[in-house]
Amino acid sequence: MDSSNDEALDIIITNVVATFRTRCHLNLRTIALEGTNVIYKPEVGKVLMKLRKPMITASIWSSGKIICTGATSEDEAKLGARRLARCLQKLGFKVRFSAFKVVNVLAVCSMPFAVNLINFTKNNRPIASYEPELHPAATYRIKNLKATIQVFSTGSLTVTGISLLTRLNTHRHIKYLTPFYVQLRRHIGLRD
Amino acid sequence: MAAAGMRCPACGSTNIVDDDLYSQAQLVCVDCGSVVSEGVLANDPVGGSDVSFSRTTAVAKRPCTNLIKGELLPSKRSFSLLLQCNSVLLLVHFLKWICFTHTGQQRVKAICRILMVNREIEDLSQTCRQLNWPITVGTISCLLDADSMAVGAIYQEMVKNLSIEAPIINVTDVIEAHCHEYKISSLDVPEEMAENSRDLTKRAVALVELAADSWIVTGRKPIPIMMAVTYLAWQSLKPNKHRLKFSLDKFCQVAKVKKLKSAMKRVAEIKEVLCKLGKEIPWVRETVTPDNVIQLVECILQNRYALLRRAMRTHEDALLEESQASCAEAPPEGTASSQISECADQAPIMSFVKQNGLNSDGKEKPGDVDYNPRVLPKHSDTQESQNPPPNWGKRVLFAPPCVIHAKKRRAVQPEHTDVTGDEEISDSEIDSYIRTPQEARDFALMQHMLSLSDSAKS
Repeated sequence: MDSSNDEALDIIITNVVATFRTRCHLNLRTIALEGTNVIYKPEVGKVLMKLRKPMITASIWSSGKIICTGATSEDEAKLGARRLARCLQKLGFKVRFSAFKVVNVLAVCSMPFAVNLINFTKNNRPIASYEPELHPAATYRIKNLKATIQVFSTGSLTVTGISLLTRLNTHRHIKYLTPFYVQLRRHIGLRD
Repeated sequence: MAAAGMRCPACGSTNIVDDDLYSQAQLVCVDCGSVVSEGVLANDPVGGSDVSFSRTTAVAKRPCTNLIKGELLPSKRSFSLLLQCNSVLLLVHFLKWICFTHTGQQRVKAICRILMVNREIEDLSQTCRQLNWPITVGTISCLLDADSMAVGAIYQEMVKNLSIEAPIINVTDVIEAHCHEYKISSLDVPEEMAENSRDLTKRAVALVELAADSWIVTGRKPIPIMMAVTYLAWQSLKPNKHRLKFSLDKFCQVAKVKKLKSAMKRVAEIKEVLCKLGKEIPWVRETVTPDNVIQLVECILQNRYALLRRAMRTHEDALLEESQASCAEAPPEGTASSQISECADQAPIMSFVKQNGLNSDGKEKPGDVDYNPRVLPKHSDTQESQNPPPNWGKRVLFAPPCVIHAKKRRAVQPEHTDVTGDEEISDSEIDSYIRTPQEARDFALMQHMLSLSDSAKS
């Protein structure tokens, strides 16, 4: 960590998206009938199941592929996925929990200053792009980190990218300076 | 079809055919071309005849060889002809044809190929570069009669595929074109409501610059802002009772422009900023409210930089007094020292405040806030470190409106205990997610009854 810089930033992970497979066919009607907290969407061909603890929403397809969203950490996502698999087991399916993989991570961060998006985009072409008519935030893509940052004029940042997981630990509130944040500051052109 | 037993009165031929034009039934002699008889328009089937116009008037029509589905490769000549027309509308019609007759990916490929053929045109929104006329995505989607999000998506794909850098259009560039749309010249409306387009544009540009300096423009859609400034400019050019009574709705009706919902909010925000500046005018005695600020707009705009500086200074002084007062009240736990410096920047603008926040209670607050010459005093109040961190927007004079009027956040979720992901899962937890057999039967019965009642109703 860069100790000479006494800046710190709260980066809060708000969503972790993970997928896993059950290696068996699932009857969506049975799940819809016998499961609570379930929404059946026959037109799309999936079932939405919501768990209370951890707060997770899962999209279940009949092929056995399941996508979990709403967890706030990787471990929570895994726990939620296992709970779900166990639930499906109890419903009578021969579930084998396999191929668990975190697919995407979304974090938010709030800076205590406003950002003039037009100047920001001008200074950071072509990495940054800003179309006020389409979206109020400027999109900034860091290729080598495979992360996308949306910068709002209020100073809020929304960061999306799997690489975050390897750099941020799994606690909800992270208060340390990461190389990522340093890079961000450099890209934004902040002066100390 | 020949009409049996008829003779043409002009040439006596019996070769008479039923020539159904899209508008009218007619009997025409093939040999001499004279119309033997025509049907009454009123007798034609409702909704037009059975034969569509394009089929009746088609004479061995082939699609233009250039515009074959998925194989759009316009010849250089036809495209340069297109450019020579120097007409946006022609290009728009061309693009409309592409957009509505081909699917997404094909469209983009087609447009990219066209644009690559002629490298003079770099960008869709800068198509009018030849005319030096910036247009917005909104205008294009209006012309194409398409959803602006769809147009925007295609535009972004194009920019990516062509690897072009589209220059960002500032609101001030587009406002002139926008003002021209408003039909409030003396030809269209009574004299008391009429306004010269040039004056209107000038006033609107000044208002937009002020709005940009006070964080109203960044991050917002440009068109509602332009509508708001045009309305305020119109009101302030002749701030008599008649004009002040006009609401945004009525103004848009008179000017024959479609009103946008968010324009009302922008009007309120800009009026707020104008009030903040109006308070600083030395010779104004009465309280400045959003109702009476319009009369002062001209004066405010003429002296806006001076007023901005005054307002910032007043605000800083007020903050300093407040922090001194709060420090004097409570025992000092760690004083927040503020260095306030004022500095005028190159082009327009104002002072910025530089402050150093200090740590207290181990809670770190962001310190230095000098990065953008545009504003942002941040005051870290140590007394409030026990409460949720104060919204920095409430402490500054100008900030994006959604920071100043921040929504109340829900109570922060309690910290989850450390989760490893591999814990044991007890049966009781899982059972809460599964219906008992009786419940399942009841549920099935209820669904069955509901579906029966639905089918009975319909």
